[in-house]
Amino acid sequence: MKISTGLVLIVLLAVCSTTFAQKGKTISGKVVDADTQQPLERVVIVEKNSQNHAFAGETGAYSITLTGDSATLVFSILGYVTQQIRVGTGDVLDIALKPVHRDLSEVVVTAFGVKKEKRALGYTIQQVDNKDLNVNHQPNVVNALQGKVAGVQISSSGGGPGQGSRIIIRGINSISGDRNNQPLFIVDGVEIDNNTYTTGGAETRGMSNRAADINPDDIESVSVLRGGAATALYGIRAANGAIVITTKSGKAGKLQVTYSGMYGFDKVNKTPEVQSKYSQGYLGEYDPASFWPTFGPTVEEAKKLDDTHPDQLYNNYKQAFKTGMQTRHTVNVSGGTEKAQLLGSMSYLDQDGVIPFSTFTSYNARINGQFEISKKFSAGVSLNYINSGGNRVNADRYGEQIIYWSPRWDMKDYVKPDGTQQTYSSGTNNPIYTLSTNKFRDNVNRTIASTFITYKPTSWLNFSYRVGNDFYTDGRVHQAPGPLGLVGEAPNLDDNEYGFMYEYNLRSRTLTSTVMANVSHTFKGKYSVDLKIGHDLRDQRVRRNSVMGDTLVVPDLFLLNNAKRVTAESYIYDYRNYGYFADLTLGLNNYLFLELTGRNDLTSTLSVNNRSYFYPSVSLSYIFSDQFKLPNWWTYGKFKASWAKIGKDGDAYSITNGFKAGTTIGSSVPFYQNRTLGNPNLRPEFTQTTELGTELRFLDGRLGLEAVVYQQQSKDLLVPVDVSTTTGFDKAYVNAGEISNKGLEVTLSVVPVRTKDFSWDFRVNFSTNSNKVKKLNEELQLSEIVLSSQYGYLSSTVSTKLVPGQSYGALYGRTYKRYYGNEVDDKKTLRTDLPLLIGANGFPVLDDASNQRYLGSTLPKWIGSTTQTFRYKQLSLSVLLDVRHGNYKYNQLSNFLSAFGESKETENRDQTMVFNGVLADGTANTKPVYLGQAKGPDGVDYGAGFYRNYYRGASENFIEDASWVRLRSLSLSYTLPVQWLTPTKTISGATVSFTGNNLWLHTKYSGFDPETSSSPSGSNASDSFSGFTYPATRSFLFSLNLQF
Amino acid sequence: MKRTFLKIYTLALAAGLFCALPACKKGYLDINQTDPNLTQRPPINGLLVATTYQSAINVYSTGYITAYYVQQLASPNTGSGSDIYDDVDRSSNWRAIYLNVTDIRQMKQLAVSQRAYEHLGVADILEALNMSMVIDLYGDAPYKEAWSEGEDLRPAYDGAKAIYDSCLSLIDQGIAALNLPDPLVALDPVNDLVHGGNKSAWIKTAYALKARLLNRKSKLPEYDPAAVLAALELAYDSNADDAQITRFESLSPWNSVAKNNASGTLDGWLSATFVNALNGTTYGVADPRLPLITDLTRFGDYRGTVNGVGRTGSGTDNSQCALSVNGFYSRGGAPLLMLTYAEMKFIESEASFVANKAGSYQAYLDGIAAHMDKLGVAPAAKQAYVSNPVVAVGQAAFTKDLLFKEKYVATFLQPETWTDARRYDYKYKNFQLPQGALLNTFIRRVGYPTSETSRNPENVPPVGSLADHLWWDK
Repeated sequence: MKISTGLVLIVLLAVCSTTFAQKGKTISGKVVDADTQQPLERVVIVEKNSQNHAFAGETGAYSITLTGDSATLVFSILGYVTQQIRVGTGDVLDIALKPVHRDLSEVVVTAFGVKKEKRALGYTIQQVDNKDLNVNHQPNVVNALQGKVAGVQISSSGGGPGQGSRIIIRGINSISGDRNNQPLFIVDGVEIDNNTYTTGGAETRGMSNRAADINPDDIESVSVLRGGAATALYGIRAANGAIVITTKSGKAGKLQVTYSGMYGFDKVNKTPEVQSKYSQGYLGEYDPASFWPTFGPTVEEAKKLDDTHPDQLYNNYKQAFKTGMQTRHTVNVSGGTEKAQLLGSMSYLDQDGVIPFSTFTSYNARINGQFEISKKFSAGVSLNYINSGGNRVNADRYGEQIIYWSPRWDMKDYVKPDGTQQTYSSGTNNPIYTLSTNKFRDNVNRTIASTFITYKPTSWLNFSYRVGNDFYTDGRVHQAPGPLGLVGEAPNLDDNEYGFMYEYNLRSRTLTSTVMANVSHTFKGKYSVDLKIGHDLRDQRVRRNSVMGDTLVVPDLFLLNNAKRVTAESYIYDYRNYGYFADLTLGLNNYLFLELTGRNDLTSTLSVNNRSYFYPSVSLSYIFSDQFKLPNWWTYGKFKASWAKIGKDGDAYSITNGFKAGTTIGSSVPFYQNRTLGNPNLRPEFTQTTELGTELRFLDGRLGLEAVVYQQQSKDLLVPVDVSTTTGFDKAYVNAGEISNKGLEVTLSVVPVRTKDFSWDFRVNFSTNSNKVKKLNEELQLSEIVLSSQYGYLSSTVSTKLVPGQSYGALYGRTYKRYYGNEVDDKKTLRTDLPLLIGANGFPVLDDASNQRYLGSTLPKWIGSTTQTFRYKQLSLSVLLDVRHGNYKYNQLSNFLSAFGESKETENRDQTMVFNGVLADGTANTKPVYLGQAKGPDGVDYGAGFYRNYYRGASENFIEDASWVRLRSLSLSYTLPVQWLTPTKTISGATVSFTGNNLWLHTKYSGFDPETSSSPSGSNASDSFSGFTYPATRSFLFSLNLQF
Repeated sequence: MKRTFLKIYTLALAAGLFCALPACKKGYLDINQTDPNLTQRPPINGLLVATTYQSAINVYSTGYITAYYVQQLASPNTGSGSDIYDDVDRSSNWRAIYLNVTDIRQMKQLAVSQRAYEHLGVADILEALNMSMVIDLYGDAPYKEAWSEGEDLRPAYDGAKAIYDSCLSLIDQGIAALNLPDPLVALDPVNDLVHGGNKSAWIKTAYALKARLLNRKSKLPEYDPAAVLAALELAYDSNADDAQITRFESLSPWNSVAKNNASGTLDGWLSATFVNALNGTTYGVADPRLPLITDLTRFGDYRGTVNGVGRTGSGTDNSQCALSVNGFYSRGGAPLLMLTYAEMKFIESEASFVANKAGSYQAYLDGIAAHMDKLGVAPAAKQAYVSNPVVAVGQAAFTKDLLFKEKYVATFLQPETWTDARRYDYKYKNFQLPQGALLNTFIRRVGYPTSETSRNPENVPPVGSLADHLWWDK
């Protein structure tokens, strides 16, 4: 074994206990890497308890003049174990620093912020540190995790500024409306609110998930707890996993200031293909004021009729989007002494989206302090203030209006000199004009405060208490001007009505409190016992008032007193939950660990009989490489197994019934029975997870493999089920059924090359999850539950349903009729193996709308990602690729594009073809039909044409494969050599980097980027439907990081 | 120093633990046992407002469906499902009616416990009105097992005839309840959107509804014209008795349709069948009511849209007639009609046609006059029309065809027009299948909504086609 010369030196020095008069003495030496013996530069050498410091140069050489007696020098650099050496008699002090083999002694943050060595854990945790998290400079912390963790599916709902993002850990195992499937977010031990509120009719405005307020630059590390035993201690709210965020805190030592800045620009990465052959009009007749954008004659023919017609049609999708911009600046000041460390940071983010008039700005200020009050007491406080908000465009509506706008006209010419709408017909609104007048602004003021105190009376006992408060107000204003009343005005009455001003105010306060006692002791050096017991409480309170003033007297005076009619609404929401937990970890010889936990939760959402429930978990970790002698190339091996049961409570008020006040009629207030049937007998939902896995390291850590298989069963799912309206209700809360998930997660990390100047390491994450609806509530004889649906023309509306035997999110819709001959039609399966049934008129026949057939699954078969990092001296290149495979989505955009004759496939409308299929009598179809409108070349009147009469009514035409392979980020960074910086005397470190995000996408999907969705990030429907989304963007960023 | 620190921080710890103490407070977790956004004690007059309003809205939304089938309205889009007899999903109409009856039944329960007999009567009448629309469109529907307050989430369907009989008995019960003396709570004039708290007006409406329902059996052997006439005796005497609402959440629904149309969201277009019936094309006499419903086209005349053909112009160039923002039915504050005196006159005419032709003919003329008065036709024009030989044919030449022709106009936008059309087998002059019709014959029913076929499938009866006749339509 290599015993570093450094260690010998330390021993020798320690022996010399005499203090020397050292003040004014200069110590010099060389710092090297203990493994490779290569010199280490930029090592910080600090004289302990002073401000005196020095840096190692390129050759590893350093020199420091002591300012005190009995000095101790601290040598530290990231990636190596810090060493403290007492200065002895000599002038020369050479040091060899040992690199941190993270894998072997990695410490991860587990539930309640407890740091544990990864080796002791019987369940799976993956941790992402600041550098990996921020390599692609994503402003939303959820997006920043994309591709970096296995078993996690993250979808950004769009590229809009501040747009919400959704994270699902290990598949869908719960369907309740309130908490959906999102994991719990903990920042520094305090639960923060991650809701996406769509108050104000903002379902399609891409509202932020509230975790977007956290500045990823402030994060030290993120631990992803994938559920089961990992989150058993957190209880109810972490049934879908937990994201535990630890923010940066001050370090002892001199004052350090860092600045990081980023500037970038964004462009839309993918738009649908549109036809460019046919101009405005209908039935082949040109009309520049037609409602129909592209059912007219060809461009050549139109130009003959209209000499103002452009030579080429505009491409609406090029006109509709511009180049967006984003910039972020963060300044971080930290410093401290042994006893107190402080960190302060300020950050500014500004984003201008690719859709005009969409913006998001965020100011973030944070203070974090840790104090060692005495040997026994330590405390900390953290305060984070955020102000964020922007103008949120209705991307779905924008997308819809783009389709209605004829490409014969220039969309960008949206306003007349007198300020009113520029459009070619009063029946069509200019999409950009709508955005410029119909404004929706949110303004969030949020304070996340937390404090903790730890008391350690003896070495084996400590108490800790942590309390936190996440309070925010979200003020939203939605306004639009009324018609100005000018001559020739074409007002937008669809979106702006007669002018309105709506104000919504939401206040949310979440209080978390955790008290914990910890007893730990190791007997005889072999047997370790660690017992934690505690109590944890969460209290949430939300209040909301809305005031809506419509029909403005003075059309552009946006004051509520200027509205003819003012209505108001208020809403109250409370939730309380607390639990008692205990965690016992027994260890043998530091290679065999057994952890047992139990938690009893009490919740306010269920009735008194059902509100208290207990659930345990057990996990085992066996590091067999410590017990058995393994061949040299096999460095580490661990086997882990765990089983956990987690309970989950219902939505607040799911057990209640009553009457609610409706919109006033004149001066009367009507009362209606609440349309959701509450169920006082609701039981909690339980999920059982079994996990088996292994962690292996080979070749001294150069090759690492972690693999986990898991199975999850959720019973008594709490769902508000759609019921027959003849019951008097729309929905009823029931314990609806069972769902199971099973899957495999693999993480591979390899360091193929590591030399003095060049290294290459990569990581691969792979996960598959297979979901199945086991059964639905048998008492109620539910054969299926409709979760959500999205509109399609001619009853081609697609819905996602829960059907026993299918996976969650099965897509159902309307299809063409097939010829069954002697076979029986079960009216549920789409038999693509059977020929199409062709009608007497030569066209396929649309099946009855009530035969809703299975069209595909929303859930991917597997997802994977890989991060490749190359380092050459000062340069570092990082590549992140991610893949999602096997999921289908309903492309509503394509449904509309074909209904309006704009999609590329409709370019064949001048063709005549014979549809491949059989007639009702079984004989093959031979009738040629014209695909266009009105009179075909055969003299037959085809009316509105194939695309409008048939094509747009078959949902099956629009269910597309949304799998993708994408180059999510490519980042090149250069760390400036120290000698360039020393002349500045202030800057001690500098890194510049160029990053490209979302540079390349390969997918069969024909709309915008298949990751985007018009459903809000909190909704379970967002994977199934994309609608007219805020398109995703390709970004080019330049960033600079300076340390002073 | 150290001891002081210790003291302070022990106190801090204790203070912190106090935060955990609220959990020990009694009832700390009871906060979600009742929903603070709801009340358990709704005011009965609050339910009155809700149910009267929603019943009127249901008449509107049902009329919005049937007006296309009777070709009073036509879609500006070619091949629109509501024109060409496509099995369009009517889930929202179904839902609105059933949820309204939920509130009506809650009102009934409260009325019984509070001895509010007038509310009880109104509840019975409104339930009969709403259910009569359901059976008229869909035929069989859940009734006995519906509204079970959560006991039965998959109610079975009852026969339409049984529900019809229940409606008739509800009307009788309603009348009896209204006649009970000394209710503890009276109908509130402000919250009764239909009759302003006037009990006797409600009794008249009950009889009017009864007459209408009894008249539906005209094709069946048990049709009893005498019973119809007996009910009419106690029903309306003039336009002032009409059941209608004039106060709305924001706009009168047909006004909203007309306004949307004017701003480019095309809606409320008149069918060529209706326009031609009134502009002289079909019958040779120009009806003075037409200018009060719609405006002249840019061609200076009145022309409608052929059902199934859709617009001939651009849609916003005023090539075809639509409901006018100044029209009687669709201007700001336009009343939403539920049962009218004019309709009653035509029912009278039909019921007395065999037994008392003279009375029948007079009722026919009175009905036309009453409708014209309602719309505000000038007396001279009214007189001219009513005395026109096409209209005033004389008692001997008076036919049911004329009766139905005029009733068609008088019940414009009313759901009952479709019932009449089916009883008359659509024999209106020049009334043809819409272009591109998906059926070979006229539509006779509506299919069951997807909310039923997906949430209650085992109970939904099979529907052969939308040309299947309902129980009274033999």
